[in-house]
Amino acid sequence: MSKFAEPMSRLIDELKKLPGVGSKSAQRLAFYILRASDEDAEALAAAVRDVKASLRLCSVCNNITDVDPCVYCTSATRNQRLVCVVEEPTNIAAIDKTKHFNGVYHVLHGSISPLHGVGPEQLRIANLITRVDAGNVDEVIIATNPTVEGEATATYLSQQLKRVGVKVTRIAMGIPVGSDIEYTDEITMLKAMEGRREL
Amino acid sequence: MTLMESEAIVLRTYPLREADLLVTLFTRAEGKVRGVARSAKKSKRRFGGALEPMTYVRAFYDVRERQELARLDACEVLESPLANEVSYARAVALAHLAELLDELLPDHEANDAIFRLTLSVLHALTGSDVWMPVTYFDLWLTRLVGFLPELTGCIVCGRSLNDSRAYFHALADGLMCPEDKRLASSEISSESRALAALMFRAPVDSFAGEPWPKAQGADLRKFVIQALQRNIEKKLVTAGMLEKGGF
Ligand SMILES: [Zn+2]
Ligand SMILES: [Zn+2]
Repeated sequence: MSKFAEPMSRLIDELKKLPGVGSKSAQRLAFYILRASDEDAEALAAAVRDVKASLRLCSVCNNITDVDPCVYCTSATRNQRLVCVVEEPTNIAAIDKTKHFNGVYHVLHGSISPLHGVGPEQLRIANLITRVDAGNVDEVIIATNPTVEGEATATYLSQQLKRVGVKVTRIAMGIPVGSDIEYTDEITMLKAMEGRREL
Repeated sequence: MTLMESEAIVLRTYPLREADLLVTLFTRAEGKVRGVARSAKKSKRRFGGALEPMTYVRAFYDVRERQELARLDACEVLESPLANEVSYARAVALAHLAELLDELLPDHEANDAIFRLTLSVLHALTGSDVWMPVTYFDLWLTRLVGFLPELTGCIVCGRSLNDSRAYFHALADGLMCPEDKRLASSEISSESRALAALMFRAPVDSFAGEPWPKAQGADLRKFVIQALQRNIEKKLVTAGMLEKGGF
């Protein structure tokens, strides 16, 4: 027998499904919502409903968007012939905040992950090949994570893309800015050496 | 609390809470150990690339009495899979090694033979030619964990299969002669049986350099994977990935 009224325990159960929310946090959030004004509670419910109803994937780049194609893919000021490939939609913000990348994106929605049964066919690669095949792209920059899975994805993509005949580059890996070479692990140092450039 | 230092191979990591990682290590000193790497998910500074699957590391960790999880303090990279190009084929093969070790090794039980096998196969697995090292590893690991059936006689009538065709079946714990084979059995060629005998006599690097197409020893791999899956009573994810990988 639950110690809360049924609607309350149902709300707590739903909140508990959110990442990083345990039983105690879920209870605290549920009581906050209970005490909130009707308008605030309704606005939260509507926002949750709308995000599911109005957001979809851009048919060109697979970014999450409310208009299709997304704002990046229709931007007149961005270089549409320079495509940066990322694993997740959240990676776009990390690259865009540098304000030095003026190209567009392509989101794979994951990386090759054999332990989870994820191969290239589970990733959103097909529409990238289509974009390149149509002759609309000069360079593809692969910005997957510097992990075994991200590297496997990058290697696979570069093989597929070079077959189509486009310039493929990989973002540099190496020592973080502001850190100390003395504390750099051997594999990071190896990658930094491989990615050295002429001064 | 005991401070431990051991060579180890990283098998898997899982996100734990906000910032931590749960890490499964195959340590040389005490076999499979699960530990928590604090802040490893948020800050890459302390562990860098050391927690990538199949990295050979020197691990420093605390073991506390009556606590299931160790605390991973530091990991020094000895050899990283990222030092060589990671093709799709190699990524699947590396994951296959990790999955098999994770599924088959008991907790806290050192096994130096399996540790040495893993290191030598990792050394053979630096390129995209994965079938030889994978076949060697599957075969040897199955034998070292005690799940490899007899390869020389029929399990039904006992007669020698030396000069005979031999068959296997997912539900049969060994090979069968043509008379005793079950419905929907697969055949294992005499070449593959000879190959297994050869692999049990020679180190993995003695097979390096020869071309090794996927078809070579495919029946042998299928036979040992079936033996493993029968014993652990579950499907191995990476075995399916290897077969349909197209490399
Ligand atoms: Zn788009
Ligand atoms: Zn028989």
